[in-house]
Amino acid sequence: MNISGPNELLENVINRNLCTGCGACVDLCPYFKSYRGKTTMLFPCTLPQGRCFAYCPRLEVDLDYLSGKYFEKPYNSDPLGFYKSIVTSRASEKFTGNSFQAGGTVSAIMYFALERGYIDGAVLTGQEGILPTPRIVMNPEDVLSCGSSKYTAAPTLSAVNRAIEEGLNRIGIVSTPCQALSTAMLRANPLEEKDFTDPVGLVVGIFCTWALDFRAFEPFIASRVDINTITKTDIPPPPAEVMEVYTSDGSKLQIPLEEIRNLVPDACSYCMDMTSEFSDISVGVLEGDPGRNTLIIRTERGKMIVDEAVREGYLIVDDMPEINLEHLKWAAGNKKKKALLKAHKEGMVNNPGKDKISYIRLNNETLEEIIA
Amino acid sequence: MSYLTDNQNNDYLLMGNEAIARGALEGGVNVASGYPGTPSSEIIEALSSVAKERNLYVEWSINEKVALEVAASASFAGLRTMCVMKQNGVNVASDFLLHLASSGTRGGMVLVACDDPGALSSVNEGESRPFARLVEIPLLEPGDFQEAKDITKWAFELSEEIRNIVMIRSVTRMSHASGNVRYERLPDTNAKADFRFDGPLSDPETGPVISMVVGISELQHVPQQEKIKKAAEIFEDCPFNTYEGPEKPELLIITSSACTLYSREAISLLNVKDRVGILKLATTWPLPPRLIKKYLSVTDRILVVEEVLPILEENIKILAAEMAHEIGPKTFYGKNAGNIPSVGELNPDIVVSALSTILDVRVESVSESFVKEAAALIETGIPVRGLTMCPGCPHRASLWSIHNALEMDGRKGFVCGDIGCYVAGLWPGGFNTVKTLHSMGSGSGIAGGFGKLRQFGMDQPVLSICGDSTFFHAAMPALANAIHHKSPFTMIILDNRGAAMTGFQPHPGTPVNAMGEAVPSLDIAEICRAMGATVEIRNPFDIEETQQTLHHLIEHQEGTKVLILSQACALSPERKDNPKYRMKVDEEICIGGNCGCNRLCTRIFGCPGLLWDEEKGVSKINDIMCTGCGVCADICPAGAIKREEVAEYVG
Ligand SMILES: Cc1cc2nc3c(=O)[nH]c(=O)nc-3n(C[C@H](O)[C@H](O)[C@H](O)COP(=O)(O)OP(=O)(O)OC[C@H]3O[C@@H](n4cnc5c(N)ncnc54)[C@H](O)[C@@H]3O)c2cc1C
Ligand code: SF4
Ligand code: SF4
Ligand code: SF4
Ligand code: SF4
Repeated sequence: MNISGPNELLENVINRNLCTGCGACVDLCPYFKSYRGKTTMLFPCTLPQGRCFAYCPRLEVDLDYLSGKYFEKPYNSDPLGFYKSIVTSRASEKFTGNSFQAGGTVSAIMYFALERGYIDGAVLTGQEGILPTPRIVMNPEDVLSCGSSKYTAAPTLSAVNRAIEEGLNRIGIVSTPCQALSTAMLRANPLEEKDFTDPVGLVVGIFCTWALDFRAFEPFIASRVDINTITKTDIPPPPAEVMEVYTSDGSKLQIPLEEIRNLVPDACSYCMDMTSEFSDISVGVLEGDPGRNTLIIRTERGKMIVDEAVREGYLIVDDMPEINLEHLKWAAGNKKKKALLKAHKEGMVNNPGKDKISYIRLNNETLEEIIA
Repeated sequence: MSYLTDNQNNDYLLMGNEAIARGALEGGVNVASGYPGTPSSEIIEALSSVAKERNLYVEWSINEKVALEVAASASFAGLRTMCVMKQNGVNVASDFLLHLASSGTRGGMVLVACDDPGALSSVNEGESRPFARLVEIPLLEPGDFQEAKDITKWAFELSEEIRNIVMIRSVTRMSHASGNVRYERLPDTNAKADFRFDGPLSDPETGPVISMVVGISELQHVPQQEKIKKAAEIFEDCPFNTYEGPEKPELLIITSSACTLYSREAISLLNVKDRVGILKLATTWPLPPRLIKKYLSVTDRILVVEEVLPILEENIKILAAEMAHEIGPKTFYGKNAGNIPSVGELNPDIVVSALSTILDVRVESVSESFVKEAAALIETGIPVRGLTMCPGCPHRASLWSIHNALEMDGRKGFVCGDIGCYVAGLWPGGFNTVKTLHSMGSGSGIAGGFGKLRQFGMDQPVLSICGDSTFFHAAMPALANAIHHKSPFTMIILDNRGAAMTGFQPHPGTPVNAMGEAVPSLDIAEICRAMGATVEIRNPFDIEETQQTLHHLIEHQEGTKVLILSQACALSPERKDNPKYRMKVDEEICIGGNCGCNRLCTRIFGCPGLLWDEEKGVSKINDIMCTGCGVCADICPAGAIKREEVAEYVG
């Protein structure tokens, strides 16, 4: 693999506004830090190779290598990536009374996995005010306090780095697609460290079309509503085309997505993945039913934990309607094509040799299929 | 009894500044004031050490202008008085100085300005000499250590004779080098202060003392110019203006101050005693015209040797032009002709090279091979060390937090700097945080101005830093101005509890004065609050808390805020030889140069108390340098630097 160091990361990702703020390079060392949604380098680091570069989901992402490692096949053009099955789901009645984004599938699974020891800690995204903040959760009950989506990018993976530092070795992670990709890269031990063991126990990916830039979103929303009164934000699936902001006085503010789109960072327009393809299971909102989720089961481990959670009465699953699946594939395929085409046009895909850094590498056949 | 107050005619080895202090004592000084600044500080320190014994009043004033005002009051009351400052201080005092020169003085009053050619310990090598001409007062420049004493003593008499303040100018090499000084007797110490003001306005001895009578120059400016003419007349016979050399030299060097020593040495190195004469002037403004004429007449070639600007050179050229019909045309060498540089300190080598071109003589003062060997030795022997702060310096911790907060904030915030040890903030040793640097207090004035540029689209966070002494010296007006004009910026006061850079002189925030007496100390935080600023106080050694506070202060840019980062200087009496922690690096844990740290402590943080062990690939503590502040333990990403409390620590 073609791994360089922090200077290349700074030059090719942060300075070019390709950083998704995922947090993978944050708190690995004293140099990369995240503050209010923005990743910065505090001091120069001179190393020619480093974990910051190796884990960044914006540099030298070798999709064939990662697919081979986790799914034993080269990367293909399926809009939803590799999976075993797709169902609909929701948290069981055990969890009634808690605030979740949709069906609460994510929280229910993390709760279950933590309680049963499939994972020894969960890396989630809570919030302070409206700022999303990474959290390491050791107690199942605390999973519930992190429910609901925060629609601005969060450096969640910095908490993975801290959890590893603290000695956790079966970490459960709830991640957006870029974070899932980075996690897959970390687990592949890219720098071939001798005493490396995979520290991750479960990756639950969430669907994502884009995450807003916190520094742009905060003043935007503050000018419309008192930030301290916000209880939840939601973007109901199409065709609604609005962001809904619920406040403590019970009212609901509707903001047309049109107004919000220019708060989406450029970085998201390069993201090919809508459904967190490199995770054990992926969860999204089920179109047409705000109380349920779409659940994609991708790996053996994902299947085992979901089955167990269903059997033990934590999770309720049902069949996925064909029409929903079609819409999902269309949306995911659309995102994939647009992003890859853009990256390809800008000379960021499959660059030969070591000199020119690529954002993404994948076999030419799949590349052609996707951008055709 | 101090060696400074020995009342016998003994010889003492004195530093130039001590010689000036002794001269003041022999001249019967009663009151002395000043503001600390290298190379001048030892004069007030010497006088304060004998204040009780000699019945003096000595003070470190809040700034140079106030110092001059305090000293002037004593003169108005008929006492002998002296005011001391470094060259930049004369700029600060110059407003009052102009008025004082106009009102005139009563008791002998001497202003000592210590210049710093080459800016060895200053932000610039600005000159104080032009002020003498600008405000029309006499300027004296001692040429050796004996003269430093003798001229100071004489200056009081001169001041009383012409009824105006007299300025003495020293330079670093005069103030800080030492030489033999023969003492004279000290006068009695029973002066009485009596300020008389009942006489008519026109009476300089009994009337009110005022600087300006609107439109009536006869009352002020005319008599002031009479005084300077009188001084020139006195200077014609001044025993401190001397000539040495042949009767008709090929070349005449005209020089003064420490340059006299360099010129003498150059002549002797080149062995041209028979060809070159030296006119050494102690009275460099106003120049005594008849004396100058006499010596300009002995030769046609003149070299003026002086440091920095060609002030003496130009004044002599004016006289030479006026006298041209009597003395004939002259060839001048010096700065304008390019023989002597107009920046930096001089030394004998520079004068040697000027002389050897002018006289066409060759000399090898040092052999070329020696120069090469010396250069090679320097490269191998002396470790390279960037400009940085002392081990355990609170400013390092403060600048670290400021740097990190600004970088993480990411809106290109910046710091307007000020004069103090924290100028290191300009360089990597201070994490390149400081982006403007001018005179004392100016950082806050400039920051206040930047704060008002929001109107023109400037939305970066603006910070200023200043020291505790600087706060009182010149930053208070800047803060008041910013608050009054609602300028959004954060002023960070790096309170290290004394004027640390110049040697811990007291200031209004400290509980003792120059003479060691207990005095009320002013609370900086309360002053800022009373002015209307939001004030936070933190210990900069608590990096986490300081950084959080900074984030909080700069995030919302409204109003003028003050953050006081309070921690004693590492060299202060309370912290010196009193480490709080014994530090140790756990070699097993240290990540060293590997990914995850890459030598943060030695490569970036840069406290000289930390060393990099190349062989082992780990950092270690330099036990001799480390002051035990413990800060590095908090920046180490691995927790490899360990603190252990020192039992003997006095908190
Ligand atoms: C930025 C963003 C964009 C999304 N876009 C879509 C989309 O286009 N289509 C779609 O179907 N679904 C999208 N989702 C996913 C959806 O909102 C729900 O998170 C998902 O359906 C799971 O619902 P749930 O009820 O199981 O979640 P819950 O049980 O409420 O759990 C939510 C989990 O999400 C995690 N989380 C919250 N905010 C973030 C964040 N900013 N970064 C990382 N993790 C976070 C929390 O750790 C929590 O565990 C998006 C989510 C986010 C955060
Ligand atoms: S190379 Fe390692 S130490 Fe350097 S910035 Fe990257 S992660 Fe940090
Ligand atoms: S995308 Fe993630 S890993 Fe890459 S620079 Fe940004 S925060 Fe760091
Ligand atoms: S900061 Fe800590 S880990 Fe890094 S070199 Fe210094 S002692 Fe070692
Ligand atoms: S404790 Fe650390 S930071 Fe403080 S003086 Fe010693 S080496 Fe320097």
